[in-house]
Amino acid sequence: MTTETMTVTLEVFRYHPDTDSEPSYQSYEVPYREEWVVLDALNWLKDEVDGTLSYRWSCRMGVCGSCGMMVNGYPRLTCNAFLREFMPGPIRVEPLRGFPVERDMVTVLDDFMEKLTDVKPYIIREEEQSLDDGEYLQSPSQLADFKQFSMCINCTLCYAACPVYEHEDEFLGPAVLALAQRYNLDSRDQGNEQRQQLIWADEGIWDCTFVGECSAVCPKDVDPAAAIQQAKVEATNNFFISLLPFTPPGMGR
Amino acid sequence: MPGPLPRAKSNAWWNRGWPYRVFLLRELSAVAVAVYIVLLLLLVSQVREGRGAFNDHLDLLENPLFWIIHAVILGFAQLHTSTWFRAVPKSMRVKLGGRAVPPEAMIFGMYALWVGASLVVLAAFLVEW
Ligand code: SF4
Ligand code: FES
Repeated sequence: MTTETMTVTLEVFRYHPDTDSEPSYQSYEVPYREEWVVLDALNWLKDEVDGTLSYRWSCRMGVCGSCGMMVNGYPRLTCNAFLREFMPGPIRVEPLRGFPVERDMVTVLDDFMEKLTDVKPYIIREEEQSLDDGEYLQSPSQLADFKQFSMCINCTLCYAACPVYEHEDEFLGPAVLALAQRYNLDSRDQGNEQRQQLIWADEGIWDCTFVGECSAVCPKDVDPAAAIQQAKVEATNNFFISLLPFTPPGMGR
Repeated sequence: MPGPLPRAKSNAWWNRGWPYRVFLLRELSAVAVAVYIVLLLLLVSQVREGRGAFNDHLDLLENPLFWIIHAVILGFAQLHTSTWFRAVPKSMRVKLGGRAVPPEAMIFGMYALWVGASLVVLAAFLVEW
């Protein structure tokens, strides 16, 4: 069989909030193309077979972070999951685990968005420098301190890989904590104390048991597990320093 | 109208693949280490009881059951150590001369220390005092 005539079976998760009381799986035969990703196959299905199929996508190049789904049980950006990785199939496509499902592969992101807003993921200044003083300068070494954590595209794959987020409703989760750390480590930021209360609480870093799969599934090598463990070390140091009768030089926050 | 599907929680998460199983084994390894500490404390307490009691205890440890227990504990201790070594570069950023030390170098350094320390212990056994 040439690749032109080959097909592959997609087992797609279906759920319609108006009519279904339970989700179901529907199988489709889709053309196999070597250069197709799972998202291409879904788009073909939506165009040619079933226009009601619902899922998010936009950039098709691993940047917007909206096309995350479970592909054969593993959280993936469907725009960089090639069909050829899963041949001969079948390929099971489901919404990201751990989230409520709006419809088909569309997850409800409200919880994630609220938690993200809560940690104030932006530069906080006690006092803004005046425009005349120019921009806030930063050395390459200071940039390197947080750059990795700033690459997050909010795709929530790390949430789908995290058993703690699955079970603990309050847990802030990997990407939110990594982003909080990203700003805490930014030499221009002064919002550490404002974020601390939330991050250093149980539902912040201490709920994390360091399974580490968040970092394994992250398509941007953000390594949220590292961000969380580093914050734990910082919080612990801070606790012991607070027990001292004096503040060691350079250690005060 | 049923509305959105509530989020699902499954207790089968640990069986979703090797990384999750290894995580459980890693956590469990702490129990194995704790058991070993108890065995060690028992041995030390026999030293206090005198030579006879100590030798009896050593005879007891010759029992195949204890060999198996120790082998299992050794396996868990290896897992415990290697997973901790892998965790260290994640939890600490070490900078030398303004540059971050690569994780591989940190892990290599810890293995080197481990091998070195093991050689010292081995030497202590082999050398006639
Ligand atoms: S940390 Fe990685 S996996 Fe998690 S949301 Fe950001 S980019 Fe996605
Ligand atoms: S479509 Fe934008 S990341 Fe996949």
